[in-house]
Amino acid sequence: MKNLLNFLVRYSPWVVFAFYASVSCYLLYSDSPAQRHVYLTSAGAVASTVYDGVHNVTSYFHLREINEGLHARNSELEDQILSLRRQLQETREAIHADTMTVTAALHPFSFIIASVTNNSIAHPYNYITINKGALDGVVPEMGVVDQNGVVGVVNITSDHHARIISLLNPDFRLSCKVKGSDAFGSLVWDGHTPEEAVLEELPKHTVFAPGDTIVTSGYSAVFPEGIPVGSVIASSSDSDDNFFRLRIKLFTDFTTLSTVRLIKNNELDDIRRAEQ
Amino acid sequence: MTKTFLSFLLLFVVLVLAQVTIFNHIWLFGLAMPLVFIYFIVSLPVTTPTNRMLTLGFMLGLTVDIFSNTAGLNALSCTILAGLRRPILRLYMPREDDMTNPMPSVKSIGAAAYTKYVLTMTVIYSIIYFVVDSAGIFNIVPTALRIIASSILTFILLMAVAGITSRNQSGKKK
Repeated sequence: MKNLLNFLVRYSPWVVFAFYASVSCYLLYSDSPAQRHVYLTSAGAVASTVYDGVHNVTSYFHLREINEGLHARNSELEDQILSLRRQLQETREAIHADTMTVTAALHPFSFIIASVTNNSIAHPYNYITINKGALDGVVPEMGVVDQNGVVGVVNITSDHHARIISLLNPDFRLSCKVKGSDAFGSLVWDGHTPEEAVLEELPKHTVFAPGDTIVTSGYSAVFPEGIPVGSVIASSSDSDDNFFRLRIKLFTDFTTLSTVRLIKNNELDDIRRAEQ
Repeated sequence: MTKTFLSFLLLFVVLVLAQVTIFNHIWLFGLAMPLVFIYFIVSLPVTTPTNRMLTLGFMLGLTVDIFSNTAGLNALSCTILAGLRRPILRLYMPREDDMTNPMPSVKSIGAAAYTKYVLTMTVIYSIIYFVVDSAGIFNIVPTALRIIASSILTFILLMAVAGITSRNQSGKKK
């Protein structure tokens, strides 16, 4: 016993070092619930208070780009309204019924608006912090989009904050398809640049050209169908040759992320029950 | 003693806040990340016992980790750096008992020795940090480029911080 104590005192720096190093490695490499504890993430109380303060200042920095994005989206929607109105008009004329009523489709999705308070793009596994949490109706597994396209999916929530797994994180795979076709693949970030990702496992018979738009497939309950994700840059064959591998230019600019929308699927419980 | 403790506590808080609010968002040319908060480990008194060095290093790393969503990454790197500090200092420094001032600075150990000491600490930290960080998706060339670019940027900023704080200290003495 005495020898053991002597040993510990003599080599105590090594013991202390080994202890800290193993705690660090545990945090780094374990997938246990302890590692996902909210106080060890940027959604914890202290960290989120600091980031809220910083956000009050920095949220003004990129207003010009964001404004441009909103204008672009706005004009796109206006275009759609005009074309839909024209179609409606044509339909009315076609059936000679000026009093036809259009019941709005019961849309299963609604949105929660949130501000990004912290965001990283430089790591191999990136996360985003937002200023809405469980008390605002945010729950894990909600999809997140901004005015340009898909951003990520909610991971951990505290009362007033939540952490989002960014699209720039290999843990997040997104089911996508080439707009106008039905074949779908899986979009994943390969860690090279925050502007590009890779669409994998796209069946060989899919027809596409560089510049084509990639949208969400709607095969998961997280994102509705048809949310823009990116455009095709180039393609190559997967090693087993039955699938395409496409490089995608992402529409979302992760360097100037500011306001995001969280997608709430009102029929989610229904879908889950049916799938059980 | 209390004064030293308080000034290091202040340094800890200021460095962590500066790191997580400003430097974490800098990513020059998609390569260089400034890891300025390690100045805390660099500037601890030479006489600090190894156990305390390790504890302070681990706490510093863990705090930055919590803010940056990099659980364990900085904690591990800082613990290793804190452990390596004494051997690194021995390489460049005159004998410890000859020193009148236990704080490593340009004045106490000389400009050449201090520059070499800070550069070594920076390079070692960058290597540990980026190798551990990219262990999941390891590409040798991008990782090496990141290490080199981040070392240069961090080194320049550390020397700047050292300049500012040493001027403050000499100002206080007058």
